[in-house]
Amino acid sequence: MTKEEIINRFIGKFGSDIEVMEIDQPEPYLYISKQEYHELCEFAKSDPELDFDLLFQLGGVHYPDDRFEVVLCLASHEKIHKAAVKVKLDKDNPEIETVSDVWRAANWFEREALELFGIKFTNHPDPRPLLLYEDWDYGYPMRKGWTGPDFIPMPEK
Amino acid sequence: MGLIEKAPAYIERLPGGGIVTTTMDWVLNQSRASSLWYMLFGLACCAIEMMATGASRYDFDRFGMIFRASPRQADLMFVAGTVTHKMARRVKLLHEQMAEPRYVIAMGGCACNGGPFYYDCYSVLKGIDQIIPVDVYIPGCPPRPESLMEGCLKLQQKIKKEKLSDWASDRKKA
Repeated sequence: MTKEEIINRFIGKFGSDIEVMEIDQPEPYLYISKQEYHELCEFAKSDPELDFDLLFQLGGVHYPDDRFEVVLCLASHEKIHKAAVKVKLDKDNPEIETVSDVWRAANWFEREALELFGIKFTNHPDPRPLLLYEDWDYGYPMRKGWTGPDFIPMPEK
Repeated sequence: MGLIEKAPAYIERLPGGGIVTTTMDWVLNQSRASSLWYMLFGLACCAIEMMATGASRYDFDRFGMIFRASPRQADLMFVAGTVTHKMARRVKLLHEQMAEPRYVIAMGGCACNGGPFYYDCYSVLKGIDQIIPVDVYIPGCPPRPESLMEGCLKLQQKIKKEKLSDWASDRKKA
């Protein structure tokens, strides 16, 4: 499917909950509201036209103006198309429903985002830390302005 | 008999067989320096260069260096690559599992002082010498096999200068 066809397919199902990013990329970039997020993911996977059977990336983002987003990159093996789905989160309590029941791949990505950004994924089956060392107790290192032991900021030029 | 001629030795010419008198230091140091068996252990891209050095084109075998897949049988550890805080405690454990005398070569910028991960990094140890003693530092990202071999020759020179009495006094300090 082309970029426009994918966008129209999503908008046909979710209507005004979808906000399309104006960006010069071959894939569509969509913002979805937090409430419709899980339903959109189920739809993206199960819909025979879209057929997004591969979640190849799920990541957190902390922007310099202090807001969080979750970004999902989806692809279809069969249809050979891609899409990116983004969700805006509260800056004080970044929390969103898990999609690890839709794509199993999301399990570890969500554990990573929880550990590095502190984004909580509700109903996650196994929210243990994944990457940092065992007795890590210094917060979420990928957040802006984080400092910790043995951390040397880049000197100003 | 080339080796014996180089040795600081006195050869008794007695009927029935040669008796060599030399120092214990020389014999031990010569054998330690000439058979540095290194641990089969790599952490990142430097390990690829280490493998190339071990393979036939550059050939560590020339120095009597063979890899051992166990720290218990190894004399030398190349810390080849980026050491994260999570890996640091494993590296320390492996170093402790090696039998003395044991030597460490910090290979590449990451193992020397954190290299490209020195600034703005939460996960990388800024130099392996914070956790284990290092004998030779080899800079480079990654170092060429020639640099690695130069480092090994430097280590051999260092080993040949050792004295048994130093080991004894080191043991007392520890």
